[in-house]
Amino acid sequence: MKFCYSILIFLLCTQLAAHSVESGEFSQSFSGQSRLSLHPQHPDTIGRTIQDEDTNPIELDEVIVRGDRMRNIQMKSAQNIVRVDKSYIEDNFSGSLMQSLEKIPGIRAMTIGSGQSKPAIRGLGFNRMIVTENGIKHEGQQWGEDHGLEIDQFSVDEIEIVKGPGSLLYGSDAIGGVIQLRNNYIPTEQAEGNINLYGRSNNESMGVSGQVGGRINKWYYKINATYMDYADYKVPTDSIQYYSYYIQLKNRRLRNTAGRDRNAGFTLGYLGENFRSHLLVSNINSRSGFFADAHGLEVRLSDINYDRSSRDIDLPYHSVNHFKLINNSAWRIGNITWEGNIAFQNNRRKEFSEPVSHGYMPVPPDALERQFDKNTYTASTLLRMPVKDRLSLQGGLSIEHQHNKRDGWGFVIPDFRTTSMGVFVYGRYHISDNLIISSGARADKVKVHIDSYRDWYQTPDEQGSPVYKERAADLQKSFDSFTWSAGLNYQQGRWMLKANIGKSFRAPTPKELGSDGVNYHIFRYEKGDNSLRAEESYQADMGIRWQNSVLTIQLEPFLNYFPNYIYLNPTPEYYEGLQMYHYAQARVIRYGFETDVHLQLTRQLSLMMQSEYLYAEQLSGDKKGYSLPFSPPWSANFSIGYRPGKGFLGTEGDIVLEYRVTGAQNRIVPPEEKTEGYQLLNLSLGRSWDIKDNSIKLRLQVQNLLNKRYYDHTGFYRLIDVPEPGRNVSVMLGFSF
Amino acid sequence: MIRKALFCLTALLLLLSCGQEDDHDMEKPEIDMSGVSAFPLTCDVVYRGDSFTFKALLTDNRELGNYNIEIHNNFDHHSHSTDDVDCEPDEKKTPVNPFIYNESFRIPDGMVSYQAESSIHVPDDVDTGDYHFMIRLTDKSGWQQLKAVGIKVRDRN
Repeated sequence: MKFCYSILIFLLCTQLAAHSVESGEFSQSFSGQSRLSLHPQHPDTIGRTIQDEDTNPIELDEVIVRGDRMRNIQMKSAQNIVRVDKSYIEDNFSGSLMQSLEKIPGIRAMTIGSGQSKPAIRGLGFNRMIVTENGIKHEGQQWGEDHGLEIDQFSVDEIEIVKGPGSLLYGSDAIGGVIQLRNNYIPTEQAEGNINLYGRSNNESMGVSGQVGGRINKWYYKINATYMDYADYKVPTDSIQYYSYYIQLKNRRLRNTAGRDRNAGFTLGYLGENFRSHLLVSNINSRSGFFADAHGLEVRLSDINYDRSSRDIDLPYHSVNHFKLINNSAWRIGNITWEGNIAFQNNRRKEFSEPVSHGYMPVPPDALERQFDKNTYTASTLLRMPVKDRLSLQGGLSIEHQHNKRDGWGFVIPDFRTTSMGVFVYGRYHISDNLIISSGARADKVKVHIDSYRDWYQTPDEQGSPVYKERAADLQKSFDSFTWSAGLNYQQGRWMLKANIGKSFRAPTPKELGSDGVNYHIFRYEKGDNSLRAEESYQADMGIRWQNSVLTIQLEPFLNYFPNYIYLNPTPEYYEGLQMYHYAQARVIRYGFETDVHLQLTRQLSLMMQSEYLYAEQLSGDKKGYSLPFSPPWSANFSIGYRPGKGFLGTEGDIVLEYRVTGAQNRIVPPEEKTEGYQLLNLSLGRSWDIKDNSIKLRLQVQNLLNKRYYDHTGFYRLIDVPEPGRNVSVMLGFSF
Repeated sequence: MIRKALFCLTALLLLLSCGQEDDHDMEKPEIDMSGVSAFPLTCDVVYRGDSFTFKALLTDNRELGNYNIEIHNNFDHHSHSTDDVDCEPDEKKTPVNPFIYNESFRIPDGMVSYQAESSIHVPDDVDTGDYHFMIRLTDKSGWQQLKAVGIKVRDRN
């Protein structure tokens, strides 16, 4: 039997509430009431109302809410979904949110040093997948290879990952999938909180995060703050060789990769009988250095004494501030639910590097190489209603406007404004209790307006007379898209089957449409194409699951076809001494699968195996026959978990040994490098103590136990042959009250 | 039924995954400067007011693309050459009228080996000192090879 936890139990008239703990138990004395309502906070588990005809006080001996949470989540959608909660993040806590989630098959973190990473689902990252927070699409500078995800992982209560097309609900960009972050935990006490201390040996990281919250009648609040500081990270090598440049490392540290994060958030919520509203205000601020000896593709020497301290952040570095204001409200009138979401986001990113002349560009006046300042306004509404017994419908409307302004002496993308609108309907029909079919359709319109950009310095034209070259022309484009999805869920005995087929799309980014100039970061000349069409993708997914009391086997294969995948094609041509890269479109096929096997050998001992495989091939165009860039190689994870239930690990403690094997990636596309396979050993150890109403949680993780030197094919520093971090011991100590 | 479908699917995936052999170009072109006439090599000196000839053997497994030569100053010692031996740099200095050279050259179609020869004139009014001589070479598939040579611009007398 699996225990449900975090079920919210409250009395309809008084808003007295209690949360069930992980063992499934809860206690709260209710008296003088006639109706006791059980409302699981997870909407997919069952809700029920226990009614007592008698007006006398009742005492329930025991209320057992039965349900298989995993199964219910899986039956909720025809797509492959993975849901994890806060304790999963804490147990797998790593330098950044995506790194903490990397054990989930199909999910990858494209790392930028030790404290930042970009998400990728089944090899699709950048603008081909989206991250949402409380239903609102997170808008940073997703297109950039060295731009991380600006999220405080301590503030996330629940994560649901959809692998597969998500355009139906989220519109443009949700091709590879959606990572949905929620901070939906509702405090149950008048005052409660937790504090987490985090330490990491490899980059001498130190972090502290605290949350306090409380609930007073129908109102609740939460305040959270995080501070994290880390030094240059260590790699298991004394020197780095890049294009036969030898770069010596002092104390095996990757110079100037230190950084720090400062995040804070505030939530105010109202939870009424038929109306609830949730307001989140948060600010993420982080700053981290780039490896000093090679920035982008260029090897550099500098007068800066980088080895003076391993904790300081010298040039080149980047800083980003992400401010967010999100309101989610919902009304329930009878069986009809109406949701409204509004949000404002500001993302300000700055990149600094030593001003140096290059080609015809004289020495710039300051270190601000690039700045992006992006405001995003989002509004969406959704109506959910049961039509008949077996049919439920939902429909929605969303609108988003963004304005991105650039600054600094380095040009990569022009200023732009985009406005997008979408409308969708989605229905689910229960043919029987075991068979559900679902289908939906959506129409979108995306308008892009790019502003012209000219160099701030002069370059001789064909006749030799100096001109301020135009690097992006004024451009207005509009993209229409019609997307759809259809799926089924089937459950029979121990088997569960899901199938989904869907179309998704994305509008080309302003960089793809309008760039025409040197990308000094990667040292190449990138030329956009303003005739690019919206990228479309068709994907078929399946989820097959077999489960008995000790064994669970899951297989999730997919097949994906792009009639017009947008890629940056390196050509043999030169312009201003740099290789020309053209944005172009090609037909692409991708397929692969993930597996997940869990065997509960005994009460104490369990074995887990996860694996993923992906194949991609371009079917047309200049790079026909090649793969796609940043394709992750196959990998498999074997782990053994031991939960003694007593002794030094306590009742809840566990120890997990993990063996990860990753294949070589030899299917590459210019200008990538082949990457060798590797094997890693990781260890994790945790236990908790209950002290009265408080609890202490301790988690120790050892990553790369054998201090192996290896390369991550999708890492940012792979470009310049920098290996991944060496052995690391991290400790997380949590105290909740 | 499901069992059967599962089996078929696995078989199909396995079949697809170990399918065709890659027949597309996976090799970068090469810049060979080991020949006796190759020029310039690390620490070679070129004279202002004079012309010199760049000479190298360019090769590729399939078909060569184009090459580019770029010369920029290294008065700030911003990086070093790709050769194992570095030559002793002059004193750091601020550029006044540095020599800037940036030309691309076409290689005739269909070549797998090409003897590159380009004459480069050094104007007589440019700053003397440390320079970087950068050779970039592409092949038809878009692979690029790079070579950086540290050279010096001096006066003939």
